[in-house]
Amino acid sequence: MTHAFLTVVRVLLVGLVAYWAFRLWIGTRSYTSRGLGLFCSAALVWQIVAGTL
Amino acid sequence: MKGFATLLWLEARRSWVWAAALIGSLAFWAWGIEQVRLMQVGERLGVRAILLIVASMTGALVLALMIGRFRSETRGGQYQVLLLTPPSGYVHVGARYTFAAATAIVYYIAIGFLFWWIAEKAGIHLDAASAAQVTLALPLYLMVITILPFLAWVLLWMVFISSYRISGSGWIPGTVMLLGSFFSLRFLVEGLIDIAYRLPSWRLFQNLQTAIDRAAWEAEIEGYGGFIAMPQEPFWVMLALIVVFLALAGRIWQEVEG
Repeated sequence: MTHAFLTVVRVLLVGLVAYWAFRLWIGTRSYTSRGLGLFCSAALVWQIVAGTL
Repeated sequence: MKGFATLLWLEARRSWVWAAALIGSLAFWAWGIEQVRLMQVGERLGVRAILLIVASMTGALVLALMIGRFRSETRGGQYQVLLLTPPSGYVHVGARYTFAAATAIVYYIAIGFLFWWIAEKAGIHLDAASAAQVTLALPLYLMVITILPFLAWVLLWMVFISSYRISGSGWIPGTVMLLGSFFSLRFLVEGLIDIAYRLPSWRLFQNLQTAIDRAAWEAEIEGYGGFIAMPQEPFWVMLALIVVFLALAGRIWQEVEG
């Protein structure tokens, strides 16, 4: 039950970060900003999926 | 070069109150040090050192606010930053960072002198080499591995947020970069710990125990093996990171302007 709940939370968080990454991609004309946005989004997704604190 | 000098002058004009207030605040901390009147000399030195560490952290916060206050900079209702100007984005970023870094260097070297002062007040008379290390080498080393990369990161963060200004509010880029950097920081620190001490270390305070032994009170520094070895790898890595942060900030500025 707890494991399933955490999986759902993780999927929702990954979806949220993916939406943010999309907004960061379309929201500027700067390719460097897009790259930086993707890098930070990837770090967040990695933390959500496989990270430990 | 002329553009850089002009922008540096503008930056000084815009931020001199912040810089003067920060450096002037050291008078308050010196007064606070004078008010510490514990009987035991070791405790007195400890409390005074803690006060100076608090001053260092407060300084980092003020410098970050100084370098990152883009949002309050408007002229006629228009934001001043990331707008079309003759000097390149790199020059804008360089001027802003140079002023903040210069303020930081003055502030933290002054704190180094205050550390020397509280050591003297505790009866620890440092020799010329140790005094130079506490007032110059140590502040500069610690600044390069902490405050200066932090200021470069703040500058990049604000430029990154500003590059999304036209498309809406900046909370999404701000949040993503803040959290992404926070989680990436862990890997940076772990990597630095892994590579530390592979190159010859920098040895500081080789005469410190002698100076303490000469003092009126006896104390052993825990873990002190005749010198304090500072690894040089974090210094070079963080210096490179500062250059990368500033180059990215300048590049973003260029792309948004162009």
